[in-house]
Amino acid sequence: MLVQTTRFGPVEVDESRLLEFPAGLLGFSRARRFALLQPDERGVFFWLQSVESADVAFVVTDPCLWSQDFTVSLRREQTAEIGLPEGVTPQLLVIVNRRDHGITANMQGPLVINPATRVGLQVVLADRRWTTRHELVSVSPATRAATQTA
Amino acid sequence: MLVLSRQRDERIVIGDDVEVVVVDIRGDKVRLGIVAPNTVSVHRKEIYEAIRRENQDASGLQGDVTRFNGVTPGSEAIRRLAQRHQGHGDSRREIA
Repeated sequence: MLVQTTRFGPVEVDESRLLEFPAGLLGFSRARRFALLQPDERGVFFWLQSVESADVAFVVTDPCLWSQDFTVSLRREQTAEIGLPEGVTPQLLVIVNRRDHGITANMQGPLVINPATRVGLQVVLADRRWTTRHELVSVSPATRAATQTA
Repeated sequence: MLVLSRQRDERIVIGDDVEVVVVDIRGDKVRLGIVAPNTVSVHRKEIYEAIRRENQDASGLQGDVTRFNGVTPGSEAIRRLAQRHQGHGDSRREIA
């Protein structure tokens, strides 16, 4: 299907790359269908582009890549919401943000996706080890200074 | 809004199956215990708000977010991560 985007123009997306979040994301309750765009074949960052709203898109990455001990415990109601059978590992994605000092990820509100049906939800972790601004990449002070004067 | 006064160990019942108990009161801090079925999610409101704000903030990103002043910090480490990821054959490949 053809997805309209403000960042990349119209993008042809295979149906197999569409994700559905029936409850939306927190603060974006009406954005339910997203296309997962892979800008770089070898990259670890993806764009989660809203199908309904051309201007809504998030950069996402797999948190397990960055933190080996990152786990999400789901309540039975949550696995039922995305139809995840027992014993099946969900795909996890976290929303990435950019700051002056580097790149952070919202590890406290991960997206949990049923890999078979591509239905997901954003969960809220009570675990205080993970924050909404978990640092993935830090920028050296020299680069930071150059960025500010640029 | 309904406002109730409670003392330590006293409870409030909400609906048929949610109970809130005042566990402890010290100075300006109140410790609450919440008994609720698994179908009810209970969270500190500020955590919800923080995630909502972070979503909204992150939705405005444009362009290549990994580049800072023309350079990509940690690009070597990221490349290694990507390689390891490609080798995984993990579930991501089914959706990506």
